[in-house]
Amino acid sequence: MDDVADKGITEEAPRGGGPVDDDGGLRRSITGKQLFFYTLGDVLGSGIYVLIGLVAAAVGGAFWIAFAVGVSVAAITGTAYAELVTKYPQAAGAALYVNKAFGNKALTFLITIAFLSSSFAAAGSLASGFASYFAEVWSGPPTLLVTLVFILILTIINFIGITESVVVNVAMTFVEVAGLLIVMLIAIIFIAQGKADFGVLTEIDTGGNPALAILAGVSLSFFAMTGFENTANVAEETIEPHKTFPRALIGGMITAGVIYVLVSMAAALTVPTDELAAADPALIEVVKQGILPFVSSGFMATLFAVIAMIAITNTTLVAIVTQPRILYGMANEDVVPSVFAKIHASRRSPWVGLIFCGIVVASLLIIGTALTSTGGGLDLVARLAAVTVVLLLFIYALVIVSCLKLRGQDEDEKTFHANTPLLWIGLIGNVAILYYTIDDDPTSLIWCAGLIGVGVALYVAESLFGKSGSGTEHDEPTTSKGDL
Amino acid sequence: MHVVVATDGSQQSLRAAKQLKSFADPEKITDISVIAVIRPLAAVAFADDLSPVDRRRADVEAGGFREAAASSVATVAAVFDGWGPKVHKKIRSGSPANEIIKAAGQLNAGLVVVAAGGRGLSDVVLVGSTAQRVQHYAPCPVLVVRPAPKKPRKK
Repeated sequence: MDDVADKGITEEAPRGGGPVDDDGGLRRSITGKQLFFYTLGDVLGSGIYVLIGLVAAAVGGAFWIAFAVGVSVAAITGTAYAELVTKYPQAAGAALYVNKAFGNKALTFLITIAFLSSSFAAAGSLASGFASYFAEVWSGPPTLLVTLVFILILTIINFIGITESVVVNVAMTFVEVAGLLIVMLIAIIFIAQGKADFGVLTEIDTGGNPALAILAGVSLSFFAMTGFENTANVAEETIEPHKTFPRALIGGMITAGVIYVLVSMAAALTVPTDELAAADPALIEVVKQGILPFVSSGFMATLFAVIAMIAITNTTLVAIVTQPRILYGMANEDVVPSVFAKIHASRRSPWVGLIFCGIVVASLLIIGTALTSTGGGLDLVARLAAVTVVLLLFIYALVIVSCLKLRGQDEDEKTFHANTPLLWIGLIGNVAILYYTIDDDPTSLIWCAGLIGVGVALYVAESLFGKSGSGTEHDEPTTSKGDL
Repeated sequence: MHVVVATDGSQQSLRAAKQLKSFADPEKITDISVIAVIRPLAAVAFADDLSPVDRRRADVEAGGFREAAASSVATVAAVFDGWGPKVHKKIRSGSPANEIIKAAGQLNAGLVVVAAGGRGLSDVVLVGSTAQRVQHYAPCPVLVVRPAPKKPRKK
């Protein structure tokens, strides 16, 4: 060991008297590009692979309009998030913003629980979507078993902490985009062969009001736009968030929007709408049309199913990371039992929270499957997607209101400003879609209530049994012998 | 010599710091850098098990994981208060093992001190722990402080 080893240290001056000195810009690790791919991957996986058939059924050949409208509303909501993130970069997200704006404990709690619930429902819906693609590759095991094993494996992955890798995240996003590029490529070949009938893109084949048909499509497709709110998770670790965050978030949303519109046009052109509507999973029908030269459509279908599964896995992982994180935060605030703040000694994962969240999602899937098999009408993917959408639209609307309400507070010259008229349009959009979704599927409210009930039960448990000021009984050293 | 002391917010990492202090010669150490690494994409990016519970209880408004990391670093750094070497506090973000190894390289460290995880099944069965990776790839000697046996048996 050489004593001259300290040459070449860039001696860092403590900045602004802060408790921790700076490391030459190395303190934060998420770059704008990585954040862009995080947003894109998170949004893309949740929906277009899963829901496109339902949207096609609701609207007809022109269902790309539903995706365009939905993603616009979501992107506007994204600008509100971007503004709030540049003001309050802490990872808490919507709950923090609403708390800042209204200072109402009950409302903050409701938002937190609604967010948690939406994440449960999203994970359930995504798991069912995963199973539908899995069946394309191997249709042996029953769907419920596939979804449960899927959730179990992701929970274990989370416990180990593989999700830490930003590189893996970017790589998975590339795979997701590749899958959608295949769909577009097929459409381009189809158009080049002169077989495409562009008339289908303006067909709205529901008897009633075309505007209502599109609204129905937006409501169904809106699940595909969600996921971007999870970027608030990494806000704190983003380099120069005031600059990179708005760009990456809104850029990611717009990119996702363009991809959605192109993919839905591609699907509408290559597959008859009624076939799309009937198929599950729908997007794979495009590949099965056998339009690609030289490759067998069977091989392409398998490849595409694998890509879709990776895409869905990526998004589900983010959901499963978010859930125990929310519980951890609430446990530290003494809102839910402190056991959710328990961190595994060596893995540094909130293992109790992870197990609990896994159980909640698994129960959702089991109950959902039981209800569907006894003639519950809607299929499980759509049902849980609707529940997610209802909860998230409520949160989105409140986030926009919070953004408007917090104008003029905590701002500096670096703060990103969302366009105010756009925010109002976004607010109206969110409320309209929310209204329609509930009106169309009132049962989804029962599910929402059930999920929020889980959160309330935890709150009650804490206030009844957690009063001993137990706070967080973190693992105490197993022995004091090691304390020297 | 510059010594890097890593903390993940665990009690074991605090013990590792004390272990270093118990035998090392403060005259030979010029600098100590206490480093915490935040894992942005993990479920809990940083958990602080070192600060007293009431200080840990950050409400929604308080800074999140960064604050937790800063307070863990402060607790571990306090071990070396008045010991001699200059103490630096650092927070990085990314994959813990990578960041510790990088920091050791950049600081031209002569020793890295890390705590090894538990002795549970998960560490045997599941893929590499941070301590293991640091041991393998650090540019300098590494002190790995293992947890004490579960129950000290009577002899």
